[in-house]
Amino acid sequence: MVMREEISRLVDGELDDEQFDTACGELKQRDGMATWVCYHMISETLREGAPGVAPGLSQKLLDRLDAEPTIVAPRPRFRVERPMTYAWAAAATLAAVTLTGWVAFSVVEPSGAVALAKAREAAQVRAAQFRPAVVPQDYLLAHQEYSPTTPLQGLGPTFRTISVEGDNR
Amino acid sequence: MIGTVVPVMRRAARPAATFAIAVASLVSMPAALAEDATAWINRAASAAHQLNYSGTIVYQHGGHVETSRLVHAYDLSGEFEKLNNLDGPAREIIRSAGEVRCYYPDAKVVRIEPRTFRNAFPSLSPQQQKSLLEYYDFRKAESGRVAGIEAQAYVFEPRDGLRYGHKFWADPSTGLLLKARMVNESSDVVEQFAFTDIAIGGRIDRATLRPTWSNVPSDWQVHQGGPGDLETKETGWTVAKLPAGFTKMVEGFRTLRGKRAPVAHLVYSDGLVAVSVFVEAMAGAPHPTGAVQQGGTNIFMRQLDDHLVTVLGEAPVVAIRQIANSVAHR
Repeated sequence: MVMREEISRLVDGELDDEQFDTACGELKQRDGMATWVCYHMISETLREGAPGVAPGLSQKLLDRLDAEPTIVAPRPRFRVERPMTYAWAAAATLAAVTLTGWVAFSVVEPSGAVALAKAREAAQVRAAQFRPAVVPQDYLLAHQEYSPTTPLQGLGPTFRTISVEGDNR
Repeated sequence: MIGTVVPVMRRAARPAATFAIAVASLVSMPAALAEDATAWINRAASAAHQLNYSGTIVYQHGGHVETSRLVHAYDLSGEFEKLNNLDGPAREIIRSAGEVRCYYPDAKVVRIEPRTFRNAFPSLSPQQQKSLLEYYDFRKAESGRVAGIEAQAYVFEPRDGLRYGHKFWADPSTGLLLKARMVNESSDVVEQFAFTDIAIGGRIDRATLRPTWSNVPSDWQVHQGGPGDLETKETGWTVAKLPAGFTKMVEGFRTLRGKRAPVAHLVYSDGLVAVSVFVEAMAGAPHPTGAVQQGGTNIFMRQLDDHLVTVLGEAPVVAIRQIANSVAHR
């Protein structure tokens, strides 16, 4: 299976309306759906708990796919323990580079459950590697000077900063 | 008036009370509403700066809950503030004229940053007031007790998916915020600050504002620094696909710790929240890119040729990513 950039960006909610059609076209191709499922699985594993799906995306998709023949694919919903404070919701493309090769084939095989477990494991490893080595504290501080809600909340923004300051001071 | 009619139509299925409020808002001019919203924001902001108060604050984000003790004083010599967290490794933050000191007793580190209380966010421009009301539905909501005070709630409800919803509870007599909540499009709480007890007004003993470690022990490390001032000038960068309602507030360069060259910093705001764009020259190895969430702040990093683009702000990751992906040379 080849990397489908459009599908990956669709999963990430990065497409504007005109690009949306192209991506939907790719979904109709032979292994387009497998790619879609695969990317979603990786993406969800990486950003479990973080809001990230474009508003209205699923509805738009449902509408577009309504006319298509039914494709049965496993729904990649599983709970993942969050071993780290801040899960990197890395773009699916990042993880897909290493995972796509075998996961995409596995998810359409009967032994889907095993593949899912393996994907989860692999994605967790990747996620751990992506944990930011350097949290840009100075960026946060510089930003807060300009946040309109800063004066409203008194020290609020400082909470935000100290609450993420671990060893990185 | 059209701008006011649309949300009413869209929310026709809401409960009757909401509908009644929306209809009531039709009779007042949008300009008056904008004044209400900004007047309310300004009152809360000046109360936070100019009142004496002390209390316990609970900060929630994701599955985390943190509790801190806050003392704030204001007099002719300026503002003073002391914050101690009550759980986890001890932290103490002292703000006084011109500097912020952060004490980390477990690491034996004190960090001193030359920063003022001044929030660089200027008063809302007429354009921002307009966009505030164009992209948020502002309304007075219910009243209810917060920290033992009968508080008045106000809601800024977003009209698209590119911003979070905000709900504030204020002390009616002073305007001071007692509780602030940010919610996503599923109405899940993204972040919340709330006083659980508070004393407003009255005299605050200076002794309670002194650092626990007035004399820094000799075996502690002292770190000086923090983000330098912004030197405003054209940076040569722009955001091609800015989410609707956001306008540029400021643009310039900053010198930051550990960065060899000044970093470009551009700030955009929709009147309620701000989004910062930082662009720096990449040094050496590729940097991990992607999105990360810290409390109510979403951060997205990406590589653009030999530059690293970092975008962060109190907006949904969709908006942050849209901005990051459309950063380009002017």
